[in-house]
Amino acid sequence: MFKYILQSAGDINWMAMLALVLFFAIFLFSTVWVITRKKDYVDKVSRLPLDD
Amino acid sequence: MTQVEQFHYDNAIVKKFAYATMLWGLVGMLVGLWVALELVFPALNLEKPWLTFGRIRPLHTNAVIFAFVGNGIFMGVYYSLQRLMKARMFSDMLSNIHFWGWQLIIVSAALTLPLGYTTSGEYAELTWPIDLAITLVWVVFGINMFGTIIKRREEHLYVAVWFYIATWITVAVLHIVRNLEIPTSGLHSYGIFAGVQEALVQWWYGHNAVAFFLTTPYLGLMYYFLPKAANRPVFSYRLSIVHFWALIFIYIWAGPHHLLYTSLPDWAQSLGMVFSLMLIAPSWGGMLNGLLTLRGAWDRVREDPILKFMVVAVTAYGMSTFEGPMMSIKSFNAITHYSDWTIGHVHVGALGWNGMLTFGVMYWLLPRIFDTKLHSVKLANVHFWLGTLGIIFYAIPMYWSGITQNLMWRAFTPDGFLVYPNFLETVTQIIPMYAIRAVGGALFISGVVVGIYNLIKTVSSGRLIANELAEAPALPTKHVAEGKEHWHRWIERKPVQMLIGSLIVVLIGGMVELFPMWWVDDNVPKIASVHPYTPLELQGRDLFVREGCVGCHSQMVRPFRFETERYGEYSKSGEFIYDRPFLWGSKRTGPDLAREGVGKLKKADSWHYAHLYDPRSISPGSIMPAYSWLTKNDLDTSTTAAKIKVLRQLGTPYDSDYELTANEDLAKQAAGIVKRINEEKPDLGLPEDADKKEIIAIIAYLQRLGVDITVQDQAGNQ
Repeated sequence: MFKYILQSAGDINWMAMLALVLFFAIFLFSTVWVITRKKDYVDKVSRLPLDD
Repeated sequence: MTQVEQFHYDNAIVKKFAYATMLWGLVGMLVGLWVALELVFPALNLEKPWLTFGRIRPLHTNAVIFAFVGNGIFMGVYYSLQRLMKARMFSDMLSNIHFWGWQLIIVSAALTLPLGYTTSGEYAELTWPIDLAITLVWVVFGINMFGTIIKRREEHLYVAVWFYIATWITVAVLHIVRNLEIPTSGLHSYGIFAGVQEALVQWWYGHNAVAFFLTTPYLGLMYYFLPKAANRPVFSYRLSIVHFWALIFIYIWAGPHHLLYTSLPDWAQSLGMVFSLMLIAPSWGGMLNGLLTLRGAWDRVREDPILKFMVVAVTAYGMSTFEGPMMSIKSFNAITHYSDWTIGHVHVGALGWNGMLTFGVMYWLLPRIFDTKLHSVKLANVHFWLGTLGIIFYAIPMYWSGITQNLMWRAFTPDGFLVYPNFLETVTQIIPMYAIRAVGGALFISGVVVGIYNLIKTVSSGRLIANELAEAPALPTKHVAEGKEHWHRWIERKPVQMLIGSLIVVLIGGMVELFPMWWVDDNVPKIASVHPYTPLELQGRDLFVREGCVGCHSQMVRPFRFETERYGEYSKSGEFIYDRPFLWGSKRTGPDLAREGVGKLKKADSWHYAHLYDPRSISPGSIMPAYSWLTKNDLDTSTTAAKIKVLRQLGTPYDSDYELTANEDLAKQAAGIVKRINEEKPDLGLPEDADKKEIIAIIAYLQRLGVDITVQDQAGNQ
């Protein structure tokens, strides 16, 4: 149904594709980023509220 | 070597927002208690228009969301942002314009809502001039916040600040799109979207008001104040980052779960349900991150009331963010929707998450900016227990009454008839639950009173450090990259990039859901027999909006046998194309009205007249307020022309120049209704000028409901 509606609206399939691609990109990048961070950087930033 | 700079934090603005939080919190909750009691004792409506349930329930929700939580957000942001940025707020003047502007908006809301000036969109009820004022004040807040971030002395943006940035930009987008409207007069407007399209925009907005006003800023506060109170860093900073991006991306899609089994196209309902289920993951990521911050410090939770408040807040967040996705499963939603379950659910969030966190933060923050100690730990503990018990005594009766009422709605006899065909039976059954709920609310408020007393004593025992001295090295003007750096650190150092990133992420969901609904005609199949409202019906509809009838009466028959049996044909999206605003409602304290003018639900005009004048004379045991003033007030027909003109501009097919003769049609239709009432019930004793009264317009509107789609079947009868 969703596909049909999007098709009948003309060329708006790119929106669904963009959403899907960005959806994965956001999760992938943020997950990769947090895994690859060095411990000292994470420790430093996480202590920011305690250092004021 | 970088020079250490001295500067002062502005605590005066934090104090102002804290005081406003306490004041409006108390006011908003007392209004809530009053409306809760009105459901138990309808006489408390006092037959005063400005005190009726329909008008002051929105006052309660607006006061708690935008006045109590709103000021709570600003209090926490103005305290934490300065310290996380190691800088005073960008401009004291903007801080004060923000503060006084926001209070002025609250006062305007407190005056206009009871007077009946409303658009009726939930949490977007305020009229267009106030919408404009909100936009301006929000921009002032934004400039002040980004100004502070840009002149900061701390290189990194802590995760709390990300939440503040996402909050700001998303609320701006939501507020503008939801309130696109064309004024017809100084305080009245029609929205540019109608019917099913408006419904989707409304709940895209409404749910994200929960997400980006009640949740993301408070998560920012949690990530700052919980580590402060526990004196240890957040459990996992890495988790907080995934939590942030996942939450803002997924939240924006979830709105259609407010419209399950309605006339909203299936694809949009499915999107809403799936994304709502997915929301458990980031929500619980945040909740666990909060609770696990206390690992190794649980012994302190026993002694420190501040931590107790925060633990209950985060736990309530976890409970309501589990419950929300469950309620978004269509088959479960069929039970909870339109029932008190929803009310219980939102109060676990509002009282538990927002209420308890707000007071936890205030107990921590006010003694610090007043350079003193909390007046009484014992009283804080008393407040904690009154609050916690209050939540329990509030939520459980609401779940109970929600399930009870839904089971009664759907009960069939073995022969296939409704067991409780009279809706009123399902209401009188749950009145005791309403009474217990009011006790729960009263408990919570008594805790708040104790808390405010404790905080006033605390404040009066100290002295405000209006300008708190701090020092920090200046930020190097040019950042020297140490080798290959990661893209995220680049984003983090540049708040504007952060802003744009958040904006893109939240816009994706909005675009994919809303654009097809706006552009694709197939989503709203037209029904040839659906016509625009007559001028009298239109005026009656606007009175229905003014009185807040939609707070208790839905106009959306879901495609269930127990609903079609009770009300009639299920609702179709094509029925609503001229409905500005849409009035589907989200709670049935009274019966659905979508088929009120047709079939077995149709009543005589005289019935409506007598019922609106005094509902209990017709339906003993009813808890509906009496609307006697509708029989006394003259209908203001001077607005008809402007309304017709604006609606035609928006696409309603009124003939050109119809506004010039519309009031003649209005008068004719009104005279016809009065004639019928006089014939049906001469003993009602209508005044001579009865056709000029507001009640006739409302009756015309009620009698119109459902007529359009049954007109073909009942030709000659309608």
